[in-house]
Amino acid sequence: MLEADVEVDRREFTLRAAISVAPGERLALFGPSGAGKTTLLEAVAGLVPPRRGRVALGGQVLTSTEPPKAAIPAWQRQVGLLRQDPGLFPHLSVRANLAYARGADPAGAELTGLANALGIGALLDAMPARLSGGQQHRVALGRLLLAHCHALLLDEPYSGLDAALRRTLTALVVAMVAERQVPAVLVAHELADAQAFANRMAVLDHGSVLQIGGPDEVVRRPATRRVAELVGYLGFVPLPASRPGGVVAGIHPDRVMTGADPAVGVVVTGLLTGCRPSGAGWEADLELSGDKAGAAGTVTVRLAERPATDAGEVTVTAVDPPVFGEDDRAIAAPSGPAAWAAVPKGSGP
Amino acid sequence: MIWIVLLGPVITLLTHLSGSAIASSLTAPGALDPLVVSLESGGVTLAVLLLVCTPLSWMLARGTLPFPRIWEAGVLCSLLLPPLVIGLLLIFMVGPYTPFGELIAHWNLSATNTFLALVIAQVYESAPYYVLGAQAAFSSVDPRLEQQAALLGDRPRRVFRRVTLPLAAPGLAMALAIAWARAMGAFGAVVVIAYHPFGLPMQIWTTLQVTGLPSALPFALVLLVVALPLPLAAYIWSARARGRRRG
Repeated sequence: MLEADVEVDRREFTLRAAISVAPGERLALFGPSGAGKTTLLEAVAGLVPPRRGRVALGGQVLTSTEPPKAAIPAWQRQVGLLRQDPGLFPHLSVRANLAYARGADPAGAELTGLANALGIGALLDAMPARLSGGQQHRVALGRLLLAHCHALLLDEPYSGLDAALRRTLTALVVAMVAERQVPAVLVAHELADAQAFANRMAVLDHGSVLQIGGPDEVVRRPATRRVAELVGYLGFVPLPASRPGGVVAGIHPDRVMTGADPAVGVVVTGLLTGCRPSGAGWEADLELSGDKAGAAGTVTVRLAERPATDAGEVTVTAVDPPVFGEDDRAIAAPSGPAAWAAVPKGSGP
Repeated sequence: MIWIVLLGPVITLLTHLSGSAIASSLTAPGALDPLVVSLESGGVTLAVLLLVCTPLSWMLARGTLPFPRIWEAGVLCSLLLPPLVIGLLLIFMVGPYTPFGELIAHWNLSATNTFLALVIAQVYESAPYYVLGAQAAFSSVDPRLEQQAALLGDRPRRVFRRVTLPLAAPGLAMALAIAWARAMGAFGAVVVIAYHPFGLPMQIWTTLQVTGLPSALPFALVLLVVALPLPLAAYIWSARARGRRRG
């Protein structure tokens, strides 16, 4: 079990975060740039001393600012860290990089097998400068795995790589974490990366953990409006006063369906002000009737088909949206189709 | 064109020398003694720089010293002081009537007109070049590579040996070579504090004073031959090391 409860002073704010990751569990730290995700990883790795806090791995206290104090140095923690920059040693060959960790055998079967699994088996004698970005990331991952660390920390390791390679490397790490039963923490600012990797996700913003939960739960049931904004909700529709407690419903672009179906969610009708291709579908901006000014009156949705009209009214249904109260905290969502049916059609202002 | 102009003094030296002049100057009894003195003192100077100034350079590069700007200013100060002034001040610092001079006198040592004095003068004239060069070499090593090595289980000393030193080595070699050239050619401070024992620069100066310019040129050639190979070798080695990293 990896446990960390730390406070780290940064220039803009103080990071206050507590996480615990069980053996074999994969936690994703998701949040915007500058939220404190990397600082938290560095505190766990022993690269940044916390002002206050405790870090423990497998029952061994690595950092403690309370008596009995502890500050195990980074080289004794057996915590592996993979950053966005692969950090290969430029004066060593790929083989020497892979075998850098103590105990790793440069000619061993494990190294060769892992290199082949990573698709770098033919590059063992090459120097890092000759490798492409993707190959360098694979070598760095192999080096990390060959070190047999007791915890894996991954700090946006796949940024800049193509989608296919990201999937391949993610699958490999997931398999390794399961096989070795070590806790793993991934820092990501792309929601898709976090969800593809994790079986639990923590949302960080401005040095605080806003919510921890399953990757689907955090997206479908964000605890606050801020969490909703961070996980991709691009519009908030005011609810009618008849709805007790609820002030606004969050509209996630990917959780809408064309047409009106009040049995499954909030029906929104708006004037189409923009439409563009997005992935395999279309992204449309709808300006809600009754509120022509301000971004609060505009929602962005993704549709499977291009809207029939270029400048008319479009009606969509936000499926089972989260509802937030006046304090921006989520309130209990309606349960079941009958509950949504109680919300009048065209619930925009 | 600029290259030719910069090489002008070397080309001029070579065109004004004849084989017979070199032979007559260098075969005189004791003519090569200053060469031996310069090589020995230069070697000791390099050893002092390596042992004392390398840790200082590393600490300056990593910012581990308190008030780093003050430390850097101190190094720059010794670089900017005219060598002749350094020599004069060294007399007041390590001369026979100073606390340091009286201290080493207990072991029958003196820091004026001795081999020790020559080494001290050479260290003062060459150390800033080595410290600044070595600092730049260490600064060029990404600290995150050192962090990565530590996370893979290396203690700090092992990180230094396996990562920091190999990556900084080309720059360190260049800094050391430049320091060697400066030590070999040290004259301003040497003429004040270490007139004796005669090193090569002093030999050139006294020959010029006593027998004239033509007689001094062969010793100038010897000084070049001694001082330049190490920088050239360091440059070639550095280029090859960087080439190897590029694969």
